[in-house]
Amino acid sequence: MAANNAAGTLEARKGFRAFISKNTNLVTFITLAVGLGLLTSGRSFEWPSVRNLMIAESVRAFAALGVGMIIITRGIDLSIGYVVCLVASVAASFAQTPDYTAALYPGIDFPLWLPLMAGVVTGGIFGLFNGVLIAYGKLPAFIATLGTMSIARGAQLIYTRAAVVGSLKDSYKVISQGSLGPIPNLAIYVAIACVFIWILLRHTKRGTNFYAIGGNSMAARVSGINVERETVVVYTYAGLLYGIAGCLLAGRLGLANALTANGMELDAIAAVTVGGISQTGGVGTMSGMIIGVLTLGIINYGMTYLGVDSYYQLLVKGFIIIVAVWFDMKKYARRA
Amino acid sequence: MSDDSREYVLEMVGVSKSFPGVHALDGVSLRVRPGKVHALMGENGAGKSTLMKCLFGIYREDAGEITLKGEKVKFHSAKDALEAGVSMIHQELSNVPERSVRENIWLGREPLRRIGPMGFLDHKKMHEDTTVLMKSLDMEIDPAERMGGLSISKQQACEIAKAVSYNASVVVMDEPSSSLTETETAHLFKIIRDLTSKGVAVIYISHKMSEIFQVADEVSIMRDGRMIGTFPVADIDEDRLIKLMVGRDNTHRFPPVESTPGPIRLEIRDLTSANPRSFKNVSFELRQGEILGIGGLVGAQRTELVEAIFGLRRLASGEILVDGEKAEIRTPRDAIARGIAFITEDRRGSGIFPLLSITMNTAIASLDSYVSPALLLEHKRIEAESRKLNEALRTKTPSMSTLIQNLSGGNQQKVLVSRWLMTLPDILIMDEPTRGIDVGAKFEIYTLMADLAKNGKSIIMVSSEMPELIGMSHRVMVLCAGRHTGTLEKAQATQESIMRLATQFE
Repeated sequence: MAANNAAGTLEARKGFRAFISKNTNLVTFITLAVGLGLLTSGRSFEWPSVRNLMIAESVRAFAALGVGMIIITRGIDLSIGYVVCLVASVAASFAQTPDYTAALYPGIDFPLWLPLMAGVVTGGIFGLFNGVLIAYGKLPAFIATLGTMSIARGAQLIYTRAAVVGSLKDSYKVISQGSLGPIPNLAIYVAIACVFIWILLRHTKRGTNFYAIGGNSMAARVSGINVERETVVVYTYAGLLYGIAGCLLAGRLGLANALTANGMELDAIAAVTVGGISQTGGVGTMSGMIIGVLTLGIINYGMTYLGVDSYYQLLVKGFIIIVAVWFDMKKYARRA
Repeated sequence: MSDDSREYVLEMVGVSKSFPGVHALDGVSLRVRPGKVHALMGENGAGKSTLMKCLFGIYREDAGEITLKGEKVKFHSAKDALEAGVSMIHQELSNVPERSVRENIWLGREPLRRIGPMGFLDHKKMHEDTTVLMKSLDMEIDPAERMGGLSISKQQACEIAKAVSYNASVVVMDEPSSSLTETETAHLFKIIRDLTSKGVAVIYISHKMSEIFQVADEVSIMRDGRMIGTFPVADIDEDRLIKLMVGRDNTHRFPPVESTPGPIRLEIRDLTSANPRSFKNVSFELRQGEILGIGGLVGAQRTELVEAIFGLRRLASGEILVDGEKAEIRTPRDAIARGIAFITEDRRGSGIFPLLSITMNTAIASLDSYVSPALLLEHKRIEAESRKLNEALRTKTPSMSTLIQNLSGGNQQKVLVSRWLMTLPDILIMDEPTRGIDVGAKFEIYTLMADLAKNGKSIIMVSSEMPELIGMSHRVMVLCAGRHTGTLEKAQATQESIMRLATQFE
């Protein structure tokens, strides 16, 4: 009887260990959340805190979902921050109040769909451009997106004449700032995007192709996958997601300027890496990306709560990325 | 060197090396005389490269002694060996193409001009030394020229010059002529004769019979990790050489191949690669239920040929006909649509998706047929079909969701065969289907191939293993240096007849 019991616990312990090693990202998140809960004597679990976290992280979540898919195909995208910044500026320019004299298009009241459309299309075009450069131009993703990053930055400054695009219409701001009952709109948009990405990655041929290309692009080619086309597609999808992120960000902030979304590529790449999307390609899930975003969000929130200077927060973020990639490499790289 | 009256400059005695499960070298001895060309011959996998890797310290031998100019030596790296005067010219060039000839030759030991504590590159000395070196070897190469701008043969000449610049007493050349034209080869031979006249010993590894008789003084033959013998070239002829290279018992066993070839399914007409150094004017046909073996030695361009048929490489000219109809195959997708499947030789590099499950590894090439009207993957059907295939092939795995990287080589290969059977092909191209698989699993793969042929599938099997070619093929087609040198019916296919065609260099 006793032996049986011991075997049972052993089995359970083994299962527990397997669960942890399989869900490191989730375990890390829960540990941090509980830790923060204890530090704040439960305040971080109260609805207003949770709500704030959701609002703060939702724009980043779109960027993370985009770059997460790119990393699954073993690519990278450094253009995120400035593309989102450009998108936000473009969207904002079509959503300014018509009687605002410093508006980019003063006196014109554009329909509400135009800023959204313009923003998403801008993001999509940049994604498409990245994809074509990488897939057909055979540029290393690192360099191609470094180039488009600068292009996006320049375009933003030219388009806005380096000025703040402010005074957005309430009807536009409410898209981001409103809520459905207690749940902020932004969180709902993220949830919808998550469902789409989950279906894409789990239940479509295209998603499987992404994993295949990231896992072994030569084998993917031999298996009849059009590697170039799929690469263009993944960067374009990511661009569209950055487009959504930019539109929502402009609405949330009520303005856009040259500093909007600066460094978002770092945040997004860090988040998905923490969430278990391996830099070696071919590994990662939608839920991992979101867990990564929330984990970084909690760390930011915690540091702010503990009164850590925002300069130190950058420092900590840098170390987190390095540690996350280090573990990632230990886990997967030895097989290479 | 004046008192150097020793008979041998390099002696390797009783060298043994084993890897898990393989006796790669078994007490091999090789003695090389100064000023002579010593040819080293043997089939693929006979142990020639392993022996040379032991010499250069890339592998540590389990037993044996290496003596250079009467002194016992043990090199730990190619650099050690170079400094002791033993150098190697590799089959693949290993230069820095974007740098000049002189920089390449003195790479890592550039002459420096000291100014105080600092050292600066002495370009002038480098240039002059290179000029002298080239003159002494009768090579007309400008030291300032960019290495990558030279022809392959000149680049190779530079590597030889580099070897000489280390005052090499032994130069090993591994298939140096494999990417050279006839005139370039003739020039290489002239350089080799110049070298030997200076007292340098050359170990010449080659598969090409005619070259051995042109350039070598002595020849050593290896087979299955053993040294069969060393003979003066004058005392041996081609027939005897071939017999010595292949003369072993057929230790592998094969299932009976019972299918009888039917109508022609695939016809290849005058296929020429877009790469001028690859295959030229290859024609053949493949019948229903037939296993066509493609044999040849390293560098015969067998893989390149089948990859081109599958749309992975560009063609300059030629036609591919599937069931009598001209097929435009530009990408693997086109080939798959024509009912062609391709199991590559490099299982890790271009076969498996290590981090995907067995199910997905099986289904990846046929997902088009498993998409619902709502464009979603039909996971249940995919899972059921890949389970069925892997069970039929007896893939041993804990579950279908196991990552393929956790399976043995033989089981990974079965998953890959399942992958391609799922595409419902008529023609299977299998490039080295049993490479890196243990003997038991090999037999299972052979049985599988025989069954497929019996069920009317046509198989092209590229193989470097003679017994496999002879044991499994209805016909064996042989390539040598990108040319189709002949096709043997089962009755005529022997190790000797294949080897004769495989070494028939034009």
